[in-house]
Amino acid sequence: MKDVRKDFPILNRTVNGSPLIYLDNAATSQKPKEVVDKIVEYYYKYNSNVHRGIHTLSEESTEMYEGARKLISDFIGADNPREILFTKGTTESLNRIAERWVPANLKRGDVILLSDLEHHSNIIPWQKAAERIGAEINYINTDDNGEITIEEVKKMISDKVKLISISHASNVLGTIVPIKEICKLAHDKGIYVCVDGAQAAPHLKINVQSLGCDFYAFSSHKMLGPMGVGVLWAKEKILKELEPYEYGGGMIDEVSFKNAAWAEIPIRFEAGTPNVSGAVGLGAAVTYLSNIGMDNIRNHEIELSKYLLEGLKEIKGINIIGPREADKRTGLISFYFLNIHSHDIASVLNTLGIAVRSGYHCAMPLHNKLNIPSTVRVSYYLYNTKEELNTLLNGIKKALDILS
Amino acid sequence: MHDIKRDEIMDLYKNPHNKGYMSKPTVSVSKKNPMCGDEVNLQLKIDNGIITDAKFDGNACSVSIISSSVLTDYIIGKSINEVKKIKKNDLLKLIDMNLSTSRISCASVVFSALQNALEDL
Ligand SMILES: Cc1ncc(COP(=O)(O)O)c(C=O)c1O
Repeated sequence: MKDVRKDFPILNRTVNGSPLIYLDNAATSQKPKEVVDKIVEYYYKYNSNVHRGIHTLSEESTEMYEGARKLISDFIGADNPREILFTKGTTESLNRIAERWVPANLKRGDVILLSDLEHHSNIIPWQKAAERIGAEINYINTDDNGEITIEEVKKMISDKVKLISISHASNVLGTIVPIKEICKLAHDKGIYVCVDGAQAAPHLKINVQSLGCDFYAFSSHKMLGPMGVGVLWAKEKILKELEPYEYGGGMIDEVSFKNAAWAEIPIRFEAGTPNVSGAVGLGAAVTYLSNIGMDNIRNHEIELSKYLLEGLKEIKGINIIGPREADKRTGLISFYFLNIHSHDIASVLNTLGIAVRSGYHCAMPLHNKLNIPSTVRVSYYLYNTKEELNTLLNGIKKALDILS
Repeated sequence: MHDIKRDEIMDLYKNPHNKGYMSKPTVSVSKKNPMCGDEVNLQLKIDNGIITDAKFDGNACSVSIISSSVLTDYIIGKSINEVKKIKKNDLLKLIDMNLSTSRISCASVVFSALQNALEDL
């Protein structure tokens, strides 16, 4: 893979006197100059409200916004850009389905199937929606290697299951979930599948059509794009029947004092002034990712995972969670020590300029189920290097010297 | 973390005072750190308005352990009214670790537990 580090200005800074080693990419990624420049360019040259005016700036701004929608549609292999709804992130995307699609399609006694490795944002919206309509929630369990197996999914499927909502990749275990197989199984039984792609879209080549899911949600900020924008992809057929999420300006064809007629999709789902610069920035991010090549990024990450798994295994007392095989993970590894708290390790690493995450990573139920304390999570991306991982490994050893 | 290396602080982390559980506490309160979910349990024994014993336990990081150790040491022997006057900043001064914002929330868990415990009295 070509050297990408020069594209990320933030990688030149120091933290506590050492060069920054940024290993918290699962929380949010850094942004290449191309993305930031695009946003600046938008505001300096094109800023104007979209879908509103007939003046030049408004038309150009609309073109950029809709152009970004097309780039993203192509990036995830959607049938057409009308299937791409801009939201503020994965959380909002999932809430929209829970708030609008669930009440219209599920009834009392129906079951929503989740898995035990879900992020809070793929649990709570369903809990709330289920509570309101009297539906039930069941959980698919990960196996000893932190994987979701098709056998386990089969076991949990019944006539009552109407929706499976599951992560494409875990933000704690790193596990890649076999979405395609799950969709095949589900669709044979008329079950809908919603995918939380927050941790997959940055790392894997996504094609929503070949995955065969019904909904796919992801966030711009974890894949080199700006914060505050994300995507909900859904099949056009589903969107046409879906009630708008918010009501207001921009999403109507005709309004009278009594009622309103909705605009076409996807505009129907984007009431109010949208985050145009955010969408444009995400468009630049997926262009950047495509130019590097998702396969190249994936191979680089597998290399790093192999290297880091080997290195971590040498450390005495370490407990690594998630799949043992590098190619079953995206770019992250979480671990813990029984008598040393994850915050303390993260603090020592921070003195060396190394940014890692410690805690429960918005996945309390999983930590409780595995009966493990909070974990340290190391998550890497296209710009991380083996040299950085060496510094990390030495840092962990140093932390252990100080703390035990 | 430079501070944590200071010997006395590290010693408190490795050999904290008042850690564990007492039998029949007058009050026992568990409090979670909203940032990370770690939990500290604080127990007080109170006689005639005086805190005669204090203990803490839980799954906690070094900052939380040190803070709990210092706070329990500080309140033992004091009256409820005196202890009610303690402010979070007083505790941060006592532990004197030059903490970042995120670690202040670790140090504060035991303080919130103490406030909860005193509420009911
Ligand atoms: C698996 C998973 N789902 C959902 C989210 C929520 O994403 P956002 O905060 O961008 O809405 C995250 C982010 O941490 C995640 O890792």
